[in-house]
This record gives sequence, structure tokens and C-alpha cells, in this order.
Amino acid sequence: MTNNKTKYLVRISVLSTIAFILMYIDFPIPIFPGFLKFDVSDVPALLGTFSMGPVAGVVIQLLKNILHAIVKGSETGGVGQLANFITGSAWVIPVGLFYSKVKTRKTAIFGLVAGAISMIIVAAFANYFILLPFYAKIMPVEAIVALGSAVNAKIVDFPTLILYGITPFNIFKTITVSLITLAIYKKISPILHK
Amino acid sequence: MFKDVTVGQYYPANSIIHKLDPRTKINFTFLFIIALFLVNTFTGYIVAFLFLISIILLSKIPIKYILKGIKGLIFIILLTVLINLFITPGTPKYQFWIFVITEEGLHLAVFMALRLIFLVTGTSIMTLTTSPIALTDGIEYLLKRVPIVKIYAHELAMMMTIALRFIPTLMEEADKIMKAQKARGADFETGNLIARAKNLIPLLVPLFIGAFRRADELAIAMEARCYRGGENRTRLKELAYSLRDFYSYMITLGMIVAIVITRYYYIW
Repeated sequence: MTNNKTKYLVRISVLSTIAFILMYIDFPIPIFPGFLKFDVSDVPALLGTFSMGPVAGVVIQLLKNILHAIVKGSETGGVGQLANFITGSAWVIPVGLFYSKVKTRKTAIFGLVAGAISMIIVAAFANYFILLPFYAKIMPVEAIVALGSAVNAKIVDFPTLILYGITPFNIFKTITVSLITLAIYKKISPILHK
Repeated sequence: MFKDVTVGQYYPANSIIHKLDPRTKINFTFLFIIALFLVNTFTGYIVAFLFLISIILLSKIPIKYILKGIKGLIFIILLTVLINLFITPGTPKYQFWIFVITEEGLHLAVFMALRLIFLVTGTSIMTLTTSPIALTDGIEYLLKRVPIVKIYAHELAMMMTIALRFIPTLMEEADKIMKAQKARGADFETGNLIARAKNLIPLLVPLFIGAFRRADELAIAMEARCYRGGENRTRLKELAYSLRDFYSYMITLGMIVAIVITRYYYIW
């Protein structure tokens, strides 16, 4: 008979490892600014949230980013990872809150929609208050905006960069990742709850 | 797909820097970043450069290895330099055709490029000289000092250690599944983005199932060895600060003071 705590601990660790590995399978998207890369590393966190609750989801996001910082090193002294952790947590918490009370397909979908909206909003703020000011210290503001306006002429300053450059990317990302999670969760939930 | 993934940057060697306490190196990294942002003259960069180069020489990491890290950023550095060169207004220095390079632009371009290079080099020293396991230990000790998080320090560190240990295993498994699915006709490399994301499902499902099987086996093995969380748990190797670490803190502090001084008294 296994103690639930140990099982919980080990499952979170393994999901974090998968999240870390999935960070490597990233594809830059042609229409978006070059520094935005699409990866599916949020899938394990969402699966963990579905099966073990919002706290597990947040811990997976945290571990994924710490792993990334200590294994791959951080060019930004952890600022990039911090922003990723904040937006990732904003994503999984609503999902967990919706789904942990009533576990039906409907609440799962509601949760994913709420999570996506919260992630997009928090990501916009995290970019505005944490990431862009940090990048502005190593790169001139004009360079970052110019990178964006090369792709989309509407981008002229920080708010428009977030609105036209980062938000569409996040909308796309949340939809794709949510769909993948739903497809996978159905298949593996019998094993998760064994 | 995984062939270009080198797990970790860690460069094993036998040097004073490698032997430093991981906590010292974590704290150093943060202090160094703060110091870099305090620099506002080239004299300050000379101080930072002398400091960095002596650490690199002491750490016995080949310079070539460190330059490789900068190479990955060459595009961003060049872009920064170019935009700074041509956009900054000020007194013109060189002029040809429609391009005007101002004195201020030249100054800013070099300044920002140096800041970027120092930042990348300074922060990579920690991961180059400390193994991920040692860093995890360091993080556990540091977390024990943070209120609230303190209670979970052991659990977080345990999870991090397990996760680290599973990276090579699961990476190999992912590679194996990928090959197996390719043999069955799966396609991971072509198609548009949505198709590619969808194609990941046949990789992810077996990966998760295999990972959960391993996780549950490990949980049973840990239970069988009486694992019951962090209470009263002892360690084989305790982290202890030595005189070396004390000197490193002093030297780092000295560098910060020197950099602050260069803000007021500088030659260039």
C-alpha cells in the first residue's frame, strides 16, 4: 500500500520532467516576432492540474522553470523563467478551481477557457511590468519594438507590441495546448486514477 | 529531434570555483547582475571584465567553451548594436549616404553590447561550474530561509532531484517512442503548426503512460525504504560554508563597491 503523499510527490516530479523535455520541442511561428516560440510544455502542468489539483499544477510550472534555469542556465538571470512561471500559474489555477469541484467534461472545458483568459491577461501584465522593462535594460526599447514592427506595422510601442505581437500568440498557444490536453487526458485518465 | 539536446551546461573540472558552496555561486549570480546594472561608465566595465576573467581563469573552463555561449546570442547582439548605432540622436560623427552614426549612438551601441555579453557570461558561470544536483542542494538550503516556503523546502528539493534524475531516462524514452511511431508512419516534422502540434499526441500519450508507470514504481520503492517526507531526515553530505566562501563573498562585495565608485570617479 503506497502512501498517497509519496505517490503525489513522485508524479509531480515526473510531470515536471516531461514539461522540461517538451520545452525543447519548440517551433518558432513564421508570422509572429522571432523571440516568441511555441512549445507544448504546459500540457503536463494542465494534466497534473486535472488529476491532482491546482497546487500540483503550480508546482509543476515552478519545477519546470527551475529545472530549465539550473540545467540550461539562464541568460536573463531567471527573469524569463519567472515570467514563464507567473503566466503558467495563472493558466493552471483557474483550471484547477473549476475542475476540482465537479469533474465533468463540461467543467474541464470551462476551466480551460477560464485558464486561457486568465493566462492571456496575466501574460500581458507580466510582459509589460517584468519582461519588457528587463529587456529594455540590455537592448534599447526601439530594438524590441522594431523587431515587432518588422512583422506587424501596427506595432509602435510597448502596449501595441503586447496587444498585436504577444496576445495573438498567446491566444493561439492556449487554444492549441488546451485541445491537445483534452485529447490526451481522455486517453490517460484511467491510468492516472488507478 | 533530441540529438542537439545536451543535458546541462555543466563542465566538470577540479578548480576552486567548482569547489565553492553552491549557495555562494547562486548568490554571486544575483549580486553580479545587480552590479552590472549599476555600471554606467566604461571604467565600470573594466572592473567587471577583470573580475570575470579572473573567475574564468580560476574555474579552468576553456575560454572557447564560454565564447560558444555568446555565439548563440550573436544575432541579438548585432541587432542591438545596429539599431543603437543608427537610431540614437546626437552629434553626427560619421556620415555616408543616408546613414548617420552619432557619437552617442556609438557609445550606446558598445555599452549595450558589453552589458549583454557580460550578463550572459556572468550568469553562465554558475551553471558551468556547478552540477545540477549541487545546485538543487543549494536551492534547498536557501529555501529553508524563506518564510512559508520553508515548510516545503525538503519536498521541493526532493521533487527537483527526482525530476533531474528522470531527464535522461524520459528523454531516451521519448526518442524511442518517436522512432517507434515513425516506423508506423507518424510524421513529426512536416505540415503546418496545428498539424504538427496534433501529431505530438501519439508521442505524448505513451510518454505519459510510461512516465506514470515509472513514477508509481519509484513511489513504491521509496515507501519500501521508509521514505516519509522531510521530518527528522538527515543528510549524508551537509553543505557547509568554508573560508573559501567567505573570501568569495568579500571579493564580490569588493567588486560591487568598486563599480559603485566608478559611477562617480571614472576616466572614461
